[in-house]
Amino acid sequence: MAECLAEHLHYPLVAREIIQEAASELGVSEADLSRGMERTPRLWNRQSSERRLYIAAVQAALAEQVAGGDLIYHGRAGQVLLAGLPGVLKVRLIAPMDLRLRALTESEGMDSASAEQYIRHVDAVRARWVKMMYGKDVEDPVLYNMVINLKTLSIPAACSIVTKAADQPDFAVTKEVKLKLLDFRQACRVKLALAKARDTRSLDLRVEADGKEIDVFGAAPALSSGKMGEHIVDVARTVEGVETVRLKLEWFDPYP
Amino acid sequence: MTAECLARALGYPCVGREILQEAARTVGVPVEDLSERLEARPSLFARLTQERKRYLLAVQTALAKHCVTGKLVYHGLAGQFLLRDLPGVLSARLIAPLETRVQTLTSSHHRMTQKAAEEFIQTVDEERRRWVKLMYGADVEDPSLYDITVNLQSISLDTACVIIAEASAQPQFEVTAEVRKRLEGFGSECREQLLGMGG
Repeated sequence: MAECLAEHLHYPLVAREIIQEAASELGVSEADLSRGMERTPRLWNRQSSERRLYIAAVQAALAEQVAGGDLIYHGRAGQVLLAGLPGVLKVRLIAPMDLRLRALTESEGMDSASAEQYIRHVDAVRARWVKMMYGKDVEDPVLYNMVINLKTLSIPAACSIVTKAADQPDFAVTKEVKLKLLDFRQACRVKLALAKARDTRSLDLRVEADGKEIDVFGAAPALSSGKMGEHIVDVARTVEGVETVRLKLEWFDPYP
Repeated sequence: MTAECLARALGYPCVGREILQEAARTVGVPVEDLSERLEARPSLFARLTQERKRYLLAVQTALAKHCVTGKLVYHGLAGQFLLRDLPGVLSARLIAPLETRVQTLTSSHHRMTQKAAEEFIQTVDEERRRWVKLMYGADVEDPSLYDITVNLQSISLDTACVIIAEASAQPQFEVTAEVRKRLEGFGSECREQLLGMGG
């Protein structure tokens, strides 16, 4: 499907490259990055910081590509990593189990029982991950612009429909949309810098960008040194193009 | 609105409430009674089962009659179930955020407040969810019941219309002679079943 779309729309196809770029940015292997993103937290603080870092790196890699021009992304969690962005058409394909089984047994030479086990496992992991990270149900159609059911529609038919949708003015990359995508990229760069920096990596922060101005939201500990705010501003300013950093934080007492 | 836009784009007639009116005439009751009985709350279900089945079959028969040509846009009661698994039929669902739906409702009914519109939408959704669960044991929001689900959060009605028209133009929904025969057969089956229940 993604290949058919790339051919029709003449956009590059991006999937694994995003994980590769994120892994390379962090100096870890692709396998470690994928595992780290999916790991269910046990040692909450350490692992959640690590997972946040990995996800920030993946989102930043995706944001670089998205801001760089048109593309087709068929990879992990596009519907949540790019949620709320203009100019992005989010599509989900669904298919009945028998169709998915047939596709897998034919392409991978698996027997039917193993294929079913594999599909159920992948579905469960994906659903758990989206629930854990974003509190959303991966099957909820509100996360997507459209859901296409391959029970009756073929892949080439679905490809024609998505191509038509992508050509509509609702998804045109106008000058304003382009600016929003650049702001998104800048916000992702700052978020990644904060997730990497020693003084700020434990914080769960949300970042918005408007040109050279950055807003940082979230909860942060009110340290006796009073320096947490300074740390955040300093880290954000290390990102090229950042001039103003506004902190919109809720301060909490770390030793109540 | 999308149904009308789609009907214009495809050059097909658009039917909704007309189907209920035809069904009401067939079973010889006012359309309001038919609607009321069909949509009766679950507490009345046991008592009305036979009657409800007959009314629903009358609706299905009226719909089947219009479907025979293979050219129809239906926006009404339970199309995804009444025409389920029939060839040549594209089932589409439109969804939209509550705030969009409230805005649409208050702008078309000027006396309706935002709160009243919200309550109305929530009540209608809940009734529909309960009805579909009761009648078909399904979740009305399950995307696997439809060929395509379009979210109007960032898609305009005009674009939704273009998307659904494109879907309906795919070869899977072509009304071939074979498909037409199957649709005719479906119409006859519905009529016979309805006659078996007393017309």
